[in-house]
Amino acid sequence: MMPTQTQLLLRTLLFWAVPLLLLALPLVTNAYVQFIANSIVIFALVALGFNFVIGNLGQLAFANTALFGLGAYGSAILVNSFGLPWIVSIPLAGVAGAAGGFLASAAALRGIRLYYLAIITLAFGELMRWLYVHGKSVTGGTDGMGLPAQSLFGFSLTDDRAKFYIFLVVAVLLFKATLNILRSRVGRSVMAVRENEVATASLGIPTARIIVFAFMWSGFVVGCAGALFALHTSYVFPESFGMLHLIVSFAMVLVGGLGSVIGAVLGAAALTILPEYLRSFPGMEELFFGLIVIAVLLALPDGLASLLRKLSPIFVERYYRE
Amino acid sequence: MLMQLTISGISQGAIYALIALSLTVVYRSTTIVNFGHGDFVMAGAFLSYVLVVLLGVAFVPAAMLAVVAMFLLGLAFSRGLVRPIRGGPHIGFALMCISAGYVFRGIARIVWGREVLPMPRVFDINPIFIGDLIITGDAIFILSTTAIMLAVFFGVLALTDIGKMVQAVYQSARGAQLIGINVDRFNDFTWGIGAALGAIGGILIAPISLLHPDLGASFLIKGFAAMTLGGFGSLYGAVLGALILGLSEQYAGAYIDSALIDITAYLVIVLVLFLRPHGLFGRKAIVKV
Repeated sequence: MMPTQTQLLLRTLLFWAVPLLLLALPLVTNAYVQFIANSIVIFALVALGFNFVIGNLGQLAFANTALFGLGAYGSAILVNSFGLPWIVSIPLAGVAGAAGGFLASAAALRGIRLYYLAIITLAFGELMRWLYVHGKSVTGGTDGMGLPAQSLFGFSLTDDRAKFYIFLVVAVLLFKATLNILRSRVGRSVMAVRENEVATASLGIPTARIIVFAFMWSGFVVGCAGALFALHTSYVFPESFGMLHLIVSFAMVLVGGLGSVIGAVLGAAALTILPEYLRSFPGMEELFFGLIVIAVLLALPDGLASLLRKLSPIFVERYYRE
Repeated sequence: MLMQLTISGISQGAIYALIALSLTVVYRSTTIVNFGHGDFVMAGAFLSYVLVVLLGVAFVPAAMLAVVAMFLLGLAFSRGLVRPIRGGPHIGFALMCISAGYVFRGIARIVWGREVLPMPRVFDINPIFIGDLIITGDAIFILSTTAIMLAVFFGVLALTDIGKMVQAVYQSARGAQLIGINVDRFNDFTWGIGAALGAIGGILIAPISLLHPDLGASFLIKGFAAMTLGGFGSLYGAVLGALILGLSEQYAGAYIDSALIDITAYLVIVLVLFLRPHGLFGRKAIVKV
């Protein structure tokens, strides 16, 4: 069922109402809840970026963790070694992520697809982690590197509440941008490649370049999220970008719904809050996220977003007109 | 020096061969690449550890038990988790395999925590000395076991009806179904074989390395590197690719830089896919419009 004109208006209102209401959130939270809320905003961006490749483009990829790490390390290095203010490092971290996305997917230009491309992204991710650990002089090796306290226009950015507002603004910008891309010619091409690449190519769309573009945009979003993460934890070290992060991002995208922008938020929210209890038991998190993905694949393949769609056509995500 | 490196390269390569072969077997009949296979291998190694160290079973029966258990696990995985999501997007299979792998890894970590476990030396085969050359007992054991497994494997494929069924399902699943092969059940069986072969690789490597829950990731990459090098989907290519990978790791580690051993597999993947994407023996994929 297509949403009517009124419902479309309602949807636009809803899109802006959510972040506006969230502006009031820091007034009612305690420090711990605020920290979790900040994590959710960051992971919503991670899921959004990852979803762009595995959901919208439909290409299996493992580079997400590496791109997140590139953003976080990029931001920390720019602040520490080059003395840039953190806020300036956000878009630059995005660019670093996009460059990583380009490297991970450049093989697509050579005609490499599907499993081969997935394996290349896997290799790329592992190589990046090897680099974090062995590039000691720049990355701090296994010890990682800290981020000094930051401020913006004289306001200190050490409090989680202050950080929240910046995270929210960045998130809204990136969500809006992603939605606009999806609605554009390029975005529709990305989804057309998912449905049938050969047919898409026959329409004169350069599918290889579309694939690389999708990886780069994904890298940009995830890279920016990495910069936020660097400030959020004020410390980056290799373990944050390890194997656990990979299954967490897969699980968030799947629980929310493959290819759904709303799903990215839902998945991030659900899976940031739930496993907080498991953190202290080694192995429990891996088991939990593994089982969650299996359960979703079997029982709710279109994720939480599909439940919302059943509730109201406002939540139907379609990026083309009849 | 060169001969010594060659021998250790071949014995490493033999283990990679089992892993690459088990990945290829599943890929050929189901077109699914098991992205969780490294953890299946790890699970096989851990099972043998449990049986030998914690329950005191002798090594050979323990290894056999572990292989049978992994065969059943592979079968159950295919029957219970892969079959129900057929018809969904292809990405679903990959995610199913990955998550199953994480479940194994989580269980292993819950049981063993962050410890790294040394497997006791189970075999006392005397090393053979040929001039300066030393062939260790482990190498003899690994090479002979792998050789036997490969002979049985390729023998069954070439000489029996099962081999013909494998060929039929690989060429056309629907065609195979038409002539009365139960493709679903056949695929379950293939998953079992894949898991069992991978487990043998894990069990062989356990006594010469340390066991830890994250072992799987590197196995997976080595298996992929061997497959990519030999040509995705080619059985002989997987074995040969694995041997070449094992050798190049040793040579690169000795003659260039020892840190290279860790990343040779990645470099092989990237180089092969850029220079010769269909590998040494793979067929060039042709996209029909």
